[in-house]
Parts: sequence; C-alpha cells; structure tokens
Amino acid sequence: MPEPLAVLDNASKSFGTVGAVVELSLSIPGGEIYGLLGPNGAGKTTALRMLAGLLSPTSGRATLAGHDAKSTSAKTALGYLSGSTGLFGRLTPREVLDYFGQIHGLSRREIRARAEVLARDLALDAIFDRRCEVLSTGERQRVSIARAVLHDPAVLILDEPTSGLDVLASRFMRDFILGERARGKAILFSTHYLAEADLLCDRIGFLHFGRLLREGTPAAIRASLGAGTLEEAFLKLVEDRGDSA
Amino acid sequence: MNLRHVAITLAKELREALRDRRTLAIMILLPLVVYPLLSLLAAQVATGRDKQREQRPSTVALVGSGPDHALAASIRQNPTLFVLLPAGTAADIEGGSLDALIERDSRDATKLTLVYDASRDESRMAEERLSDLIAKGLPDGCAPTLTADRRSVAPQARVGGYLLSKALPLFVVLMVLLGAFYPAIDVTAGERERGTLETVLCSPIQRFDLMFGKVLAVATLAALTGVLNLASMAITLMQILRLATAQNVVPDVPWGHALAASLVIFPAALLFAAAFVALGATARTLKEAQTLLLPVYFLTVAPAMAGAIGEYRLAGIAAWIPGMNVTLLARDLMVGRAHWSGGLAALLSTLIFAAAALAVAARIYDSERFMVPAPRRQAQPGSATRTTTAGDALTLFGLAFLLLYFVFLPIEQHHLTAGLLAAEWIGLLGLVGLFARVSGQGFAKVVGLTRPTARALLGAALVGCGAWAAVAVLSEWLLPVPKEMLEQLRRSLVPLDGSRGFVGTLLLVAVSPAICEEALFRGPILRGLRTRLDAVAAAAITGLLFGLFHLDLYRLIPTAILGVLLSWIALECGSIVPSMLAHFCNNAILITLARSRLDQRMESLSHRAITLIVLASLALVGVGLMLVRGTRRKREM
Repeated sequence: MPEPLAVLDNASKSFGTVGAVVELSLSIPGGEIYGLLGPNGAGKTTALRMLAGLLSPTSGRATLAGHDAKSTSAKTALGYLSGSTGLFGRLTPREVLDYFGQIHGLSRREIRARAEVLARDLALDAIFDRRCEVLSTGERQRVSIARAVLHDPAVLILDEPTSGLDVLASRFMRDFILGERARGKAILFSTHYLAEADLLCDRIGFLHFGRLLREGTPAAIRASLGAGTLEEAFLKLVEDRGDSA
Repeated sequence: MNLRHVAITLAKELREALRDRRTLAIMILLPLVVYPLLSLLAAQVATGRDKQREQRPSTVALVGSGPDHALAASIRQNPTLFVLLPAGTAADIEGGSLDALIERDSRDATKLTLVYDASRDESRMAEERLSDLIAKGLPDGCAPTLTADRRSVAPQARVGGYLLSKALPLFVVLMVLLGAFYPAIDVTAGERERGTLETVLCSPIQRFDLMFGKVLAVATLAALTGVLNLASMAITLMQILRLATAQNVVPDVPWGHALAASLVIFPAALLFAAAFVALGATARTLKEAQTLLLPVYFLTVAPAMAGAIGEYRLAGIAAWIPGMNVTLLARDLMVGRAHWSGGLAALLSTLIFAAAALAVAARIYDSERFMVPAPRRQAQPGSATRTTTAGDALTLFGLAFLLLYFVFLPIEQHHLTAGLLAAEWIGLLGLVGLFARVSGQGFAKVVGLTRPTARALLGAALVGCGAWAAVAVLSEWLLPVPKEMLEQLRRSLVPLDGSRGFVGTLLLVAVSPAICEEALFRGPILRGLRTRLDAVAAAAITGLLFGLFHLDLYRLIPTAILGVLLSWIALECGSIVPSMLAHFCNNAILITLARSRLDQRMESLSHRAITLIVLASLALVGVGLMLVRGTRRKREM
C-alpha cells in the first residue's frame, strides 16, 4: 500500500466541554479520493481543519506528508479549498496567484508559467485581470482552485467545495477532483451531498456527532448495510445507534 | 405611503438594534461613560497644570537707570509670584535662566520695556504677571504711572514653532490614529469576514511575518495620513494667523523644525498600527472590530491630549507613556527644544510597545478561539447554569459608573457621607444584588462568597498592610499629586471640624468600600472577564477599571495597582473574602496615617529610611502573595 499522505491518528478536538471530533483515525494515500460524509455539525470541517493545521487536536495527531500538520513543511504540501473560501476582492486573479506563489517560494517565472497553464485549464483567461470582487460564484471558485493547486501540492483538502455552486460549476469541480486524483494527489473531500460522494470517492467515512461510524468503499458500505444508496446506508447506521441527525 | 408598513419596519429594526448588545454599548455606554471620564481626567490635568504654574514664581530682573524702588518693592512684596534677581540679560532669557527682564528708559521714568521669550510658557507667564502688576499701578505717591512696551527675544520662526506646537502635535497624533483605524480593521476582521483568513493561514507563512506585514501596511497608511495632515494643517494654521493679525505680520513657519517634528509620525504610526491590528485580530467581524476599537481610540486620545494641554516635560514617566510621549516630542521638536534623552526614551518606549503589540497580534490572530463560531450561551438567563460573562462584567462597570457619575457624585457634593454611603451600598452592592437576582445565579455565586482558608486570610492581610508604601512611592514617582489635592484628600478622610470620629471614618472609608467595591470589582467584573481572558489579563483589566472608577487622575495609578493586587488575591483564593480583608487593611492604614499626619512626617525622612520602608512593604506584599498562592479550595477549582 502506498505511503499515506494525510493522516489523522486517534485525533480528538473539543471546544469547551463539547467534543466536536472524537478519536478519529483515517489515512489517505496518494491517488485516492476520500470522502468524509455526514450531516451539518457532524465534525467534518473540524476534522479537515485539524489536517490543514488550522486547529490543533486536543489529543492524537494530524500529519501531512509525514509532517505535523501545523508545520510549514506540511503547509507546503497542502492545497486547501472550502466552499466559503474567500478571495482578495480588490486583487485580480493574476495578483492572487502571484501573492500565493511567492508565499510558496515559487520564482516569478515559475508563477507565470503555472498561472498560464491554470488559466487555460480552468478557463480563466477572460477574467484573469478583473478584480475578484466582480466575478461570479463559479468564476471565483475556479480562481480558488487555481490558487489551491498553484504550487502543485501532494494533498488536497476540499471542504464542501461544491456548496452553493450551480450544476455546471459542480460538474467542473468534480472533473477537476478526478483529474487531480489521476495526477497522484491524495484528496480529502467533505460533503453532505451523498450522491456526489458516491460518484467520486474511492473510500468514504461516515461521521456523526464527531465519531466515525463506518469506513470503506461506497459499494462495500452500501452492501454491508443492505442499502441502495449512501443516504439509506447513513440513515440505517444512525437508526441502529438510536441517534437522529 | 403605507404608514402601517413604515411602523412595522420601524418596530422590527428597533427590536433588532436593541437586541445587539454591542450597538447598545456604543450608543449608550460610550457617550455616558467614556466621554465624562475623559473630560474629568482632562479637567484634572488642566487643574494640576494651573496649580503647578501658580506654584512656580517667575524669575525676573530689573535693569537700566531710573527711579525703580517702588516697582522693585512691589515685585519683592509678591514672593509667591516673583523672584527678583539683581541683574540679567536677554541672553539669560533665551538660555532659560531668567523668565523676564524689565528695562527702564533712562530718558523717560514712566516708560518700561518688558523683555521675554514668546516661545516659552514660563516666560510668557512672567510677562503676564509683570503686566498685571504694572497695570494695577504702584502705591500712590510712590512713582508716576508706568507704561510698558513688550519685546520678545525669540526669533519669529521660533514663535511660529511655539504657536504650531500648541495644536499641531495633538492633531497629528489624532490623524495618525484615525489613519490607522480603518485599515487595521480591514486587514484583520475584514480578512476574517471575507473568508480569506483560512486561505492565508493554510499557506507556509509564519504568523509573525504575516502580522508584521499587515502592521507595516497599516502603519504606512497611518503615517501617510499624518504627513498629509501635518502639511495641510501647518499651512492652514498660518493662513488663519495671517488673517487674524491686523498687519498681516505672521510668525515664520519653522519648516526645519516642522520636518523634524513630523518624524514622530512614523514611530507613532507603527505603535498605533500594531495596537489596532492586535485588537482587530480579536474580532470576528468588521462590526465587532469597530465596537472594540472605538472606545480604545478615545482612550488612546486621552494621553495624547494630556501631553498637549498638560505642559509636561518629556522626561521620567511622561517619556514612557504611549501617545503622550510622541505628542511631547513633536512639541519639543517644533520649538527646537528637544532633549536627546527624552526623545530617545520616547522613541524607544514607542518601539517597545509597538513590538509588544505586534507579538500579541501574531499570537492571537490564528487563535482557535477566533477560528470557530462564537459560542452560544449555554443556558438562558434564569437557569441554574447561567454564569457571568465578560459582556456582563463590562455592562456592570458601565452601569456602576453611570450611577456614580450622574446620581451619587451630585449627592456627595451636597452631603459627603450620605453620598459615599449611597454610592457604595446602593450603587455598587445594590447593583450586584440586582444582577444576581436578574441572572438567577444567587449573590454568593456572583461575588464568589466562599469560606477562605486561614492561610489565604493571613496572606491577604499582609498584602493589604504592606501595599500602601510601595504603591505610594511608585505613584509619587510616576505622577506626583499636587500638594493642594493631597490636602483636599486628607480633609475628606479626616474632616478638620472633627465631625467624624475614627470609627466613623473607618466604617465609611474602609469597611464600606471593602465590602461594596470588592463585591462588584472582584465579584462579577473579575469573574466575568476571567471567562474570556487569562488570569493576568483579567486581573490587569479589573485593576484598570477599578482605578478609572475612582475618577481621579492622580489616584488612577495607585488604585489600579491595588486593584490588580486585590484581583490576584481573589483569583488565587477563589473567594471574595480575602480581597475584602486586604482592601480593608489598606484603607484602614491610609486613614490612620492621614489622621496622625504621619504621611507628612514621612516627607522629611531620609532617602535611606524611605527605601527601607518600601523594601519592607515589598517584602510584606511578596510574602502575602506567596501565602495566598493556590489557596483556592478544591470545590472551587
């Protein structure tokens, strides 16, 4: 099995007396899309933020590419994108990429070359020199994708990246994720759209009240619970536990 | 127009606005608490300055030939106003060893010329005093009526600098503050609100580097605002002066000095930028940041204003007070009288404070507390689990201040004892009782009324008995109290007419504050702040609020230090009782000293004796604090 690039090792996170994530373990190797699924408030975002180094686990460990998730080395290997990710409204996409490219230590020439490729692949040419504040939601999301993969990170963490996108933009995002998997990236992806996860993910984990209820391939989980869809599977799991979302 | 719809919208908007506690705080507490407080402190600075000026006699000399005996005698008859030197020159005035010179006209016995330095306050005052003396006229038959011309030895450029120094430094500091205000909010809370913070924090950039870059950006904009304002105001002021003078004779603008003065803009901009960025970093939204920064903006203006109107020298503690020191340095540079030691201390302290603020900003910007949504209240008011919050603490302080300032102080002015008692037992203890009832927590829980250990009581008593000397010496060094104000305080503690005995004074000034002030400040205020801040910060802010509550600039430092010590005791012991005991001991000792006038006798003590007393005081406080350490009972943990 290839070396895991993103690892949560028995990681817990509490806010005051509330346990947002409880003893969660998962590992994602390169070339895999892992879907972290669950309803609102299940702890998905907290888990992803621990891996992105934004939150420190109360106990346990979070590592990226073998480095502590809080470290600069880990962040060099990380591309992070969320549904609510903002862009600097008063800058143009070109300036945004220039800023993040420099932070990631790329030379001006490297940034220019990468930006040209991304502008072509993500259809940014027409908007490349317009301020981000005037872009549509879909256009902004494409710029955010370019920003997240500019430095060619080994791990992509995508927190509900299709939230609020229309059909075309969502399709674009799914194609992008599949393309990145083909390039050997480890992709951790959270969503509460279970059908979308079924289409995309190699493995999924069901999170509920901060605990991992079940992990496996979508097909295996559906089969083990005798469910036709992931939604049915999740509801059965929750009912078995006597909880409700 | 549908009036019903207008009314519905009005009701809905008002309901929403009034449920926003921050809006209420800005709308009600800011004008009712901060402005009276600032104006009161400013008035005290002005009064202190006037008293200092009045206490200092002007050094004058009378030169030239002619019948001068009556004038000289008149000057000598006012030793509180004048010191008459046997000789002097214009050079002495410029050098500062002489305030004014009276030159007699050898040809006309009725004519005098008052020579002074129009760019120096002391010299201007000497000229005013001499003019008054001459205008009153000399005793009948002593001399003919005198007429006096005036001549300043200061070059026009220096007078221009002096006039500009009266207003420009303060305006420039205010403009720099204003220039830092919105950019600081935008780069911190704005970034958080726009959702770009997560993106940046996921990048391989060190927090310090990130914040340093932000602070420098804000400082650049603030400095630019300051420079533009300085230039604009200098030109505008000179135009106003030109219009105001009949002959269109305008003092020269000392452009070199103005340029030198403008150099303070940069350290000031760095300090204010770092402080505002640090504060803005604690806000989740733009609105919250504005709410936080606005009172701080006004509080930051206070020292700058004190520096502008207080006529303080840029030396000692004044050189280390942020805001005030740069105002004083700009003033001194403008008149060309800056001293390198004061200037260096001002710049150094400003940079140190800026670095400290930057370090705080870097530490808290990615704090997880601000990464997660604001915690919801865990229980509704009235439920058993309701606890005092930091918002409750500040609201209670605001309410207590309002009651004191608008209700009980006027009563105190008519009847001191009744006013003091009402302020303590109704305005403080009553308020705490009301809060306990409304919040449904119970009085004991709100104030932390639990049984302390014997060790805690002993430690608190030692702190209470020992703190006064060290605190008094420190505050005397930092901000000496004018003698008249000290005497006024003593008279309020111990009335000269003997209308209040020792026991009565003890009950009024020691027992009553120990119970009521502690119940509020070391009760809900300290406990509320502790829910949001660490112990040191909660104790420091409680101490500062305690100092401000006493509405006396000269007692601000000692009461604030005492407040911090009392807060620390309350936190360590987990009970209000030891801090009440310490407060009582401190006040009782001060009453005893005032009654026996021992404090006055201390003034004649040798430096060595005072050092020994302070060391003993520090030792008592140190031992006391060690004793109270960790005396919180387990169930209180």
